[in-house]
Amino acid sequence: MTGLVRSGLRGRADVGAAPAVHRERSAWVDWMGVAPFFAFLALFLLVPAVSVFLQALRHEDGSYGLTAFREAFSGQNRSAFWFSIRFSALAALVGVAFGTPLAYAAASLQRPRWLRSVISSFSGVAANFGGVPLAFAFLTLLGRQGVLTKILSNVGLDLYQSGFGFDTIRGLVTVYAYFNIPLMVLVTLPAVDGLKRSWREANANLGGTTWTYWRRVGLPVLTPSLLGGFLLLFANSFSAYATARALTDSSMIVSLRLGFFLGGDVKVGEDAVGYSLAAWMIVIMGAVMALYWPLRRRAERWQR
Amino acid sequence: MAAMTGAGRRWLTRLGSVGPTFVVLLCAFFFIAPLLSMARFALQTVPVVKLGWSTLFDKWSLAPLVQAFDEPQFRSSLWLSVRLGLGTVLLTLALLVPTAVWVNLRLPRLRPVIEFITVMPYVIPAIALVAGIKVVQPHARWFLDSKMSLIPFYVVLALPFTYRSIDAGLRAIDLRTLVDASRSLGAGWGTTLFRVLLPNLRTAIISASFLIFAIVLGEFTMANVLVRMTLPVFMLQYQGSKAQAGTGLALMAMFATIVLFVVVSRVTRPRSERRSATSLSTAAATGDDE
Repeated sequence: MTGLVRSGLRGRADVGAAPAVHRERSAWVDWMGVAPFFAFLALFLLVPAVSVFLQALRHEDGSYGLTAFREAFSGQNRSAFWFSIRFSALAALVGVAFGTPLAYAAASLQRPRWLRSVISSFSGVAANFGGVPLAFAFLTLLGRQGVLTKILSNVGLDLYQSGFGFDTIRGLVTVYAYFNIPLMVLVTLPAVDGLKRSWREANANLGGTTWTYWRRVGLPVLTPSLLGGFLLLFANSFSAYATARALTDSSMIVSLRLGFFLGGDVKVGEDAVGYSLAAWMIVIMGAVMALYWPLRRRAERWQR
Repeated sequence: MAAMTGAGRRWLTRLGSVGPTFVVLLCAFFFIAPLLSMARFALQTVPVVKLGWSTLFDKWSLAPLVQAFDEPQFRSSLWLSVRLGLGTVLLTLALLVPTAVWVNLRLPRLRPVIEFITVMPYVIPAIALVAGIKVVQPHARWFLDSKMSLIPFYVVLALPFTYRSIDAGLRAIDLRTLVDASRSLGAGWGTTLFRVLLPNLRTAIISASFLIFAIVLGEFTMANVLVRMTLPVFMLQYQGSKAQAGTGLALMAMFATIVLFVVVSRVTRPRSERRSATSLSTAAATGDDE
């Protein structure tokens, strides 16, 4: 919200600074300046996105309708969506549960002075680590011949006997935590920094305990950041392709299922159903981002 | 919270100091373990079954790291990824720097709109975007069949990161004064852009370039679906046939990514923090001339 208010003010000041004669004549010139940018996005983002929807709505006989759209959310496809939504939500939850305390530790632990810069620099790198190399790293750690798999089996815990696998929710959540936790740190660190020391002192002066501080001040201020972080992590996990592809061949993961369909490796019904998978993905991501956007604005309020 | 007992309160306070330490240690283990096991797998030729205290220091070698370098396909895939990376950097800068300057100067009320548009690639993730490319492909084969056609789509994928970093760079300088001064001294828009603005935006441009390069070098989704043999696509295929050398290659790629991102974070660090850092590498990376 602060952002909107601020840019509004700024806009007025800028208009005032420009010579008045100049203004009307150059109104359309102003718009021409951003035309290349919009043309570029129309061509390389809007056209592909719209074609996905058109293709999803088009039947083989050339007529248009919602049949494929519905079919892409039934049977095998439906279970794939359900599986993906569940593991993405859990992966996001794990990211929030570990990323927030880690950000808090980075902001509050005084002792090793390098800790904060290590945590924030490492998070900046690791949040972008998703992909083929990360998958390989986890294969050497938790694969059937992984080091940790072996260590655990030596102490009597057989991972794969207990149903672990990289195509299970547990496996995916574990690997995705590697980029979700750092992403959460990046999202919440500014919010945690925004918790003023004076608020804590005011709370103590008024006779509050640590519990009251968190219950009445800390958590309410952090809530938009935490919810926003959860949504961002969910979107991040739900749309991830590279990491999952290098880990497993499971067509229960929607992004992989779509990839297999596009490569011609999996039959999902007629073509329109395949493109409906992509359309549904965009709809779900759009809904998540629509929720995220106002939360982000709200979270920025205390970060000045 | 009068109901809370003294012991409970003490426990909470204790948790407040021990809790974060515990989380930090746990996370440290979680983040280091895969890297260590990956390095071991790549550099030590001992199967996990035989691994134990007695064999821990046997047969370590750096050879698997460079084994992939002899593959002709490795070289061609690396070359393709590098060309795509450079192309994406150039196209991004050519498109975004003038746009961001223009928006800040002439259309500041458009800023929220642009900001919103630049996060659209989150809504349309790479795998959905490539589905759209597959639809359009038969109608535009002359363009979409060429290897370099990935460049504009990579520009789109990197947009959420790049626009923000360039815009932040612009907001940090006194844009209007610089432009007015340059224009009133008789410089045209080209001169203003290249000789006044670009030098002032150095930091933002360098960091955005490294960021784009790192993103493109690691991009797998679109290249895989469109069957372009870029570095990550080659890596996955190579690892299937030669597990150890493939993992070695991935280790190198990870290391390269870390280097690129560390450069970015050093360059973009706020000035106050930067000044307190004394390491030589910092000074070199930032080219701080103040």
